[in-house]
Amino acid sequence: MDGPLPLVLLVASLLFAAALLVYVVLDRTPDWGLLGFAALIEALTLVLLVVAAVRVGDVDLSGGRLVTLFGYLVAGLVLLPIGFAWSLAERSRGATAVLMVAGLAQAFVVVRVMQVWP
Amino acid sequence: MSRAAASTSSGLGRALVAVYGVFALAATARSLVQLATKAGEAPLAYALSAVAALVYVAATLGLAEVGPSPRRLAWAAVGFELVGVLTVGTLTVVDPELFPDATVWSDYGAGYGWLPLVLPFVGIAWLWHTRARD
Repeated sequence: MDGPLPLVLLVASLLFAAALLVYVVLDRTPDWGLLGFAALIEALTLVLLVVAAVRVGDVDLSGGRLVTLFGYLVAGLVLLPIGFAWSLAERSRGATAVLMVAGLAQAFVVVRVMQVWP
Repeated sequence: MSRAAASTSSGLGRALVAVYGVFALAATARSLVQLATKAGEAPLAYALSAVAALVYVAATLGLAEVGPSPRRLAWAAVGFELVGVLTVGTLTVVDPELFPDATVWSDYGAGYGWLPLVLPFVGIAWLWHTRARD
């Protein structure tokens, strides 16, 4: 997909994961700043989903690849909310690391969206 | 001194459940797409993808302590996972023709950053670490 949006989203997801690594190392509990960061990523993912849905008619994408594209985009919407729900139920280093896993998975999803888009 | 089994979904286990959860989600979605769009092309590989997806879902639920006997479920799932990745990994290296389309366990999970090979060892180590002791 051309345009800066996927790249911005990818960098944001990786920065989020990197920030979480610092939190895990320092044993800091997630705060409102991280939640805001995640909300920004979530909003950008939603925009990406809408942009893809609007522009998908103009490109050559069919069958399995089409299902795959939107599968990844929907996964990108649920990863962080599920990650936060699972993480915030406990206060521990491991629970904070859950958010890092979610951030890395989010970055992977964006990379796959960029690859599947023709 | 005897000690009851520790929680498998607490501390480090919480992050482990998250990694297993990502694999469960990815493997299930991948398997559904394969079965829905091209089931006839490589039946063995796609059946294997479906089995792998079930194993990751079972491991996630077991380690997250969902269900009546989660520890037993987790042991069965990570045990099956270890046998699966070693068997399929070896078969795909020896005879690449056997699985024309890649599965999560092909080449010992090299396509997924070797995580499919590392995960069952971590899972077994974690279940052992949190076991009841006497």
